Amino acid sequence: MHETEQHDLSDDSDYAAASRHHAPGGIMRTDSGKSTASEAGGSEVLYLKDNVAIHPTQYASERISGRLRLYKQGSSLFLSWIPYKPSTDGAVDSLGHGSSSIPVEKDRSLYTIKSLPVSDVHSIRRHAPALSWPYIIVVLSSGLAYPPFYFYNGGVREFLATLKQHVFIVRSADDSNVFLVNDFQDPLQRTLSSLELPRVVSVANRASRHRSDLSSSSFDDSERLNGASYDATASTSEYSARQKKFHDPARDISIQVLEKFSLVTKFARETTSHLFRESHNDGLNAYEKKQQTDYGSLKPISTSDDKKKDSNVIPVASDPLEFEKLPLVWGKQRMHPLCLEEWAAFLDSEGRILDSKALRERIFYGGVDQNIRKEVWKFLLGYHEYDSTYAEREYLTSVKKSEYEVIKSQWQSISAVQAKRFTKFRERKGLIDKDVVRTDRSVAYYEGDDNPNVTILRDILLTYSFYNFDLGYCQGMSDFLSPILYVMKDEAESFWCFVALMERLGPNFNRDQSGMHSQLFALSKLVELLDGPLHNYFKQADCLNYFFCFRWILIQFKREFEYDQVMHLWEVLWTHYLSEHLHLYMCVAILKGHRKKIMGEQMDFDTLLKFINELSGNIDLDWTIREAEALCICAGENGAACIPPGTPPSLSIEPDMGLYPQEDEVL
Amino acid sequence: MASRRRMLLKVIILGDSGVGKTSLMNQYVNKKFSNQYKATIGADFLTKEVQIDDRLFTLQIWDTAGQERFQSLGVAFYRGADCCVLVYDVNVMKSFDNLNNWREEFLLQASPSDPENFPFIVLGNKIDIDGGNSRVVSEKKAKAWCASKGNIPYFETSAKEGLNVEAAFQCIAMNALKNEPEEDIYLPDTIDVAGGGRQLQRSSGCEC
Repeated sequence: MHETEQHDLSDDSDYAAASRHHAPGGIMRTDSGKSTASEAGGSEVLYLKDNVAIHPTQYASERISGRLRLYKQGSSLFLSWIPYKPSTDGAVDSLGHGSSSIPVEKDRSLYTIKSLPVSDVHSIRRHAPALSWPYIIVVLSSGLAYPPFYFYNGGVREFLATLKQHVFIVRSADDSNVFLVNDFQDPLQRTLSSLELPRVVSVANRASRHRSDLSSSSFDDSERLNGASYDATASTSEYSARQKKFHDPARDISIQVLEKFSLVTKFARETTSHLFRESHNDGLNAYEKKQQTDYGSLKPISTSDDKKKDSNVIPVASDPLEFEKLPLVWGKQRMHPLCLEEWAAFLDSEGRILDSKALRERIFYGGVDQNIRKEVWKFLLGYHEYDSTYAEREYLTSVKKSEYEVIKSQWQSISAVQAKRFTKFRERKGLIDKDVVRTDRSVAYYEGDDNPNVTILRDILLTYSFYNFDLGYCQGMSDFLSPILYVMKDEAESFWCFVALMERLGPNFNRDQSGMHSQLFALSKLVELLDGPLHNYFKQADCLNYFFCFRWILIQFKREFEYDQVMHLWEVLWTHYLSEHLHLYMCVAILKGHRKKIMGEQMDFDTLLKFINELSGNIDLDWTIREAEALCICAGENGAACIPPGTPPSLSIEPDMGLYPQEDEVL
Repeated sequence: MASRRRMLLKVIILGDSGVGKTSLMNQYVNKKFSNQYKATIGADFLTKEVQIDDRLFTLQIWDTAGQERFQSLGVAFYRGADCCVLVYDVNVMKSFDNLNNWREEFLLQASPSDPENFPFIVLGNKIDIDGGNSRVVSEKKAKAWCASKGNIPYFETSAKEGLNVEAAFQCIAMNALKNEPEEDIYLPDTIDVAGGGRQLQRSSGCEC
């Protein structure tokens, strides 16, 4: 079960296409004079694939095509992905890809990977959807993952084959589509967890990475490569030159350390460089001006125009106080909760909701009165359709009730003798039993010994774990279910509402943590967009994994607010008005709200985690929602582009992308 | 930074869900027990000042989620640990059987410099339940396992009654301290090399 096998590439359908392109003798390609130039600079391109794209949103027009490369620098292997310049650039046309790359100038730089040491890669997950392009997801040892790279022209196999020639790759025993990179662990040692993502950071891997920190080559090398590559504009070269001019080994090491855990973008690099060049402040402060003029649209400040303008100006980190003074558009004044009369006005004579958008907007700004939550939540959660009638809903309710009973009877009919031989069931039940008795017991509805509502919680969760056996039960689910049962006061209805909620938030509990990783990734991107200095601080403090926000995101602030506030917050979030990801903007809002303290006190990861945990119970909910609303509006499309498609609570775009097969774990 | 690091002893508590990790930590640090602890999501820690041989240290005790699905977070939380406390419930066999997995998972994720000699402590918790009548893991069995893993110190505790908790954590602190000099393989980067940091390191070396 724990054997790993060398990956077998014979089953790849894209191999034929890929193999046509490379020379019989090997993988190495040099298809332009420019990449030869980069070899002269000491790097050897081992793999190159054009038309490898990122889909920042579900809109085809916003896809960003680029060039994926693997190259060798000394004995180290690096990965780069450079989006194409707009077609006017000429460079793209000369490569013959102008037509297929739609330039989305504002987004391109967000995802650029200039040089990622392959030693920082934990694993690569390969997907080959039947009806779409194959893609890969690169997961770093730090736990962060890049958004999917879609191979429009195939080449995944060739990519993996090239990697295999240069680094140690094994196919994960748990998922044959996951390729573990640099996994030197004895497979027999990996006995416990089937979590295959960021846990394997082998001793050997660490040691080698440590060495690469100390050698000061990779940063300069990557600059050199970039400077010589087709992608370089004049300003990029100037930028490289600037990098070299102030050659300070200490700074270089710091930058390498920062880059290791970051998702390198031009924006990030520019702002990072501010931190290390404060002494060169010539007073022009172009960065700050740029920030101010752009705040309305919040463009990443990396367009080539900007660079040309600013090429002689050394940008300086903006004074946090100055930054605070920027006019932030506050969210609208909060309203009173939607009341029965208002609710009734949204319904037609047969019970249809005619203007669901207006309803959602109304709830977004004020929430829902407790006495109509039971009705309204069913719509917000997606259990009831907005255009359904009273009669249809009544019918659905009765059908669903018996359907629930059938699923419930599946585990109820397990006899003691049978349970003895059904370890998964026993352990899952044991875990649920343990958790329900410590879920919201201070709320009157659940308090006291032998409270029947606690038993109902247990029954629903156990039934759900049979309804969705692959996902099973995971800690945090009881936190989600508790307010739902409290509002519904009905077992079967609560179950189906919970099912509807899990359609969106179930990925938070994926065994590979993919749902959490994509949200943490998006959060890091949003902070980078909305508060560059804070982002740089986190980068410097080695906090870019954002694990200190883990609890906020996993259970949508359930532990941070009072019970009734949680219900209010959730109905606001469930409207998906403005964004499906308002909770991420809330994270940004809270972090920004404490930025002075965080940066001023130079909090390290531990201190930050403690600080965030202790904010529980001390966060102003209305302020946070309004601030999040304002940030969401300010960020606009750029904010949406920070969030990879399919990030929970978005419904997954491709059916096969949602829940990965959940195998080989007990619970 | 370097000297602060020396004063801080980082301890990680691991074990199956519901064995009493949070309760043990709270009993030790706050002398309190509650039936209403929630399942830990993510991670948290408490700190407590401890005195060992006239020297003050800050014990930083990390409490983590017990469900194995969350173990991938360990990479971030286990880093730099000085001691690992493995907890099981004497009334639940499975939680004892899992100790080995927790130990290996910790070594894998924390990657201590000397895994063979990294200090672990095992706590058999909840000995108060039903006057001990419901226990399924005998002390003998637990001690045998500890002996087989390089003589891991073993304590039987009740976080609820506060039984043996203080003694266990004293041992934890001592063992964490033993690990410290070896953890501090890096040299402070600047003038600290000849300064106070060095002296501290030397004297902690004398401890053992």
